[in-house]
Amino acid sequence: MTDHLLRVEGLSAGYLGENVVHDVSLSVGKGEVVAVIGSNGAGKSTMFKAICGLQRATSGTVEFAHADLTAKKAHAIVRAGMVYVPAERHLFPHMSVRDNLALGAYPKRPRPEQIEFVFNTFPRLKERATQHAGTMSGGEQQMLAVGRALMSSPRLLMLDEPTTGLSPLLASEAYAALTDLRAEGLTILVAEQQVPLALGLADRGYVLDHGRIELTGTAQELADDPGVRKAYLGV
Amino acid sequence: MTASTASAKEGAPNTAARGSATAFRDFAPIAVVAVLLALVPLNFHDSRSMMTVIIAGMLFLSYTIAFNVIFGSTGQLFLCTGALAGIGGFGSVILSDRVGIPMTLSIVLAGAVAAVFGGLLSWIAVSRSLDTIFTGIVTLAFSLSFQNFVLGRRDLTGGENGLRVEAGKDGLLDTQVKPYYVFLALAVAYLILFRLLQRSHIGWAFRALRDDEVAAELSGVDVTRYRVYAGIIGSAMLGVAGAIFAHHRGFIGTSTYSFGSVDVRVLVMLAFGGIGTLIGPVLGAAVFTILDEILVSYAQLREVLYGVVTVGLFLGFRQGVIPALSSLWDRVVSSGGRGRKST
Amino acid sequence: MTAVVLDGIVLGLQFAILGAGLTLVYGLGGVVNLAHGQMAVFSAIVIARLIDHGVSTFLAVMIGIAAVGVLGLLIDLSLMKPVYRQKGESRVLLGLLLMLGVGFIIDGVLEWKYPIEALTIRISGDPIPILGVNMRRGSLIASGIIVVVGASLVLFFRFTTFGRATRSVIQDERGARLCGVNPATVRTVIFGLSGVLAGVVAVTRAMSTPVVSTAGVDLTIFALIVAVVGGLGSVSGSFFAGILLGIVNTFSAFYIGTYITTIVLLLAAALTIVLRPSGLLGEKP
Repeated sequence: MTDHLLRVEGLSAGYLGENVVHDVSLSVGKGEVVAVIGSNGAGKSTMFKAICGLQRATSGTVEFAHADLTAKKAHAIVRAGMVYVPAERHLFPHMSVRDNLALGAYPKRPRPEQIEFVFNTFPRLKERATQHAGTMSGGEQQMLAVGRALMSSPRLLMLDEPTTGLSPLLASEAYAALTDLRAEGLTILVAEQQVPLALGLADRGYVLDHGRIELTGTAQELADDPGVRKAYLGV
Repeated sequence: MTASTASAKEGAPNTAARGSATAFRDFAPIAVVAVLLALVPLNFHDSRSMMTVIIAGMLFLSYTIAFNVIFGSTGQLFLCTGALAGIGGFGSVILSDRVGIPMTLSIVLAGAVAAVFGGLLSWIAVSRSLDTIFTGIVTLAFSLSFQNFVLGRRDLTGGENGLRVEAGKDGLLDTQVKPYYVFLALAVAYLILFRLLQRSHIGWAFRALRDDEVAAELSGVDVTRYRVYAGIIGSAMLGVAGAIFAHHRGFIGTSTYSFGSVDVRVLVMLAFGGIGTLIGPVLGAAVFTILDEILVSYAQLREVLYGVVTVGLFLGFRQGVIPALSSLWDRVVSSGGRGRKST
Repeated sequence: MTAVVLDGIVLGLQFAILGAGLTLVYGLGGVVNLAHGQMAVFSAIVIARLIDHGVSTFLAVMIGIAAVGVLGLLIDLSLMKPVYRQKGESRVLLGLLLMLGVGFIIDGVLEWKYPIEALTIRISGDPIPILGVNMRRGSLIASGIIVVVGASLVLFFRFTTFGRATRSVIQDERGARLCGVNPATVRTVIFGLSGVLAGVVAVTRAMSTPVVSTAGVDLTIFALIVAVVGGLGSVSGSFFAGILLGIVNTFSAFYIGTYITTIVLLLAAALTIVLRPSGLLGEKP
């Protein structure tokens, strides 16, 4: 694991002077799929926001593709190739699917083959191409959020709870799509409460609890860990 | 959030239970201000023009305290202080000169009319849960409508020519020194009213509102009702002050209560002194009255300077002088062993 | 009757472009530019002074519009920086008060230095009959310019990368940042654009009425009314509201009388806020 794409060291972050995430270190190798699992409120979102510049970290460093991105602004981090899809999605509700996708390519103009790629991954979006994002169902919005992120051909895709608000069926569909993307060689860092889905997709994982990394290992090791099984797999 | 709810709940019995021990600390500043301001005419009573300036300053002090009740305490951006004062002014003059009601009664009635308008605006803002900017625009629209009404209904208001005021021509309000004390009494009464409101259950609710609307609502404060109360009380204060000024000055016109000549100054005065503080309006009114007097020979520059001061003020000194001084005082005192937050 | 409607449309187009400039800046960063009208007058006076000094009208107009555009850029890069660091209500309040101050400064300087200056752009030629009404050439050319500017705006926001980025910041600033859009850059450019639109207002207005140095406050108020009725943040809303209010304005001026007209417009704005805070079209651009 020498070729790190993303390396986070000693990251702490929080709100109103109180840290929610404490001294977190993690790394993602090129082509790897890494899951961060933890229950609601474990600090997954705060950690992701601090990594991708939406929130200022109180300490720690973020290194991406051998460049120091610590304390860089969110838009600069996106342009460096690390794209974050938040659980709240943050789509543009009064814009068409096509316009939302076009913005994913910003500051470049969208290339037709990129749009084609997204439409192939999510055929549903093609049917809805001219519909406003705000009028779509939760599952479609999730597809659009991931599709928009793919438009910039990211080197690392960060997904925060991609199954938020989705039915179990749609959730497994979403993960099926992610498995396809993984097969394309995309590097993915995913935060998830639905541990079986996440561990089914990932190569490696971290367990985040109360803002600290409690455990790390391969997906198989985590799935076999008695603590993880008890806390997250309900076994 | 749980913490702030708890502290808000503790606040009520505390304020209610604070007895005469704190009464001295709460009202002493008003007494000091009253004495200091009472001495002012000793220096200027023989200069008619100076007294005019100082009386205008006192009037604006009253306006600013009233605006402080509405904006400072409950965060409703009323951009119609001038219009509400004007409703008081024109209303009282029309009632006394045209209808023939005794002046004192007409002042009270006009104040009540202003209170109705202010309360209505406040009620609209609260019940439609308008935010600061929308409250600002609605009240600004009201303000400008009033201005246009004054210009348009010449038969009632004299239009551009203004209105000569008969009532009060030969009474307490005619000379210079006596009316100064009338306005001083009014300002001091307003300060006391502001302090009483702060100390009352309503005031506690106001402060809870300012700190955290959600917490206030959770602890059972009827946000709507208290906002509207503030709107009514503050507007009545504006109306009465505007009415008394009309009878003192003997002439009112379109610019007496216009947005440009009242609202802007009141906003700057309050922001300079410190929004929501007791003494802030006194300091703001004093400083800007003196500044106006210094700039009197550079009348054209006055607006530019107001702009520069406004920009500078809000850029570098957002909290106002009184809060800045008080936090400085806190630091001095707490470094000496004990800390106490005061306004 | 037709004449009143046509006059209303001519005036409404000016209202529209006035509101559009204000609404864009508000939509992007929550700043209510209470100096918008003053910026228009600034540009008018620059043009008038240049013409006085013998510069050709066309060149003077170009310089005047560029000057107010630069003024917009400078205001955003300096005074607005601390505003954008604030959040929510305190951002709105600080932005509003700072721009109120800027309005005073521009107003004060213009009234002090050029109290009697005014911009009039004379368009010679006979009136042109439209639907049986003789319309002045100045009004028609002014309307034509605004239609062209408005159409370019629509095309810009719909089909250019930067235009889309602007809409994205208005709709969801965080989402925009996650697409790699830098909201600060967008805001700066659009503040400049808003200045240019203020300049266009000055020029087109000057083709039918003199733009005097004291007109700033009134123009700001009209801009605010139009922006509010159209829905703060919506350019198409501004155009719709501008034309509507323009017609309302000429109608009530014609049939009722001037002072009621202004009150009607003000009440329209207040009622819109109370009944439909998102504006008549009820949607962002």
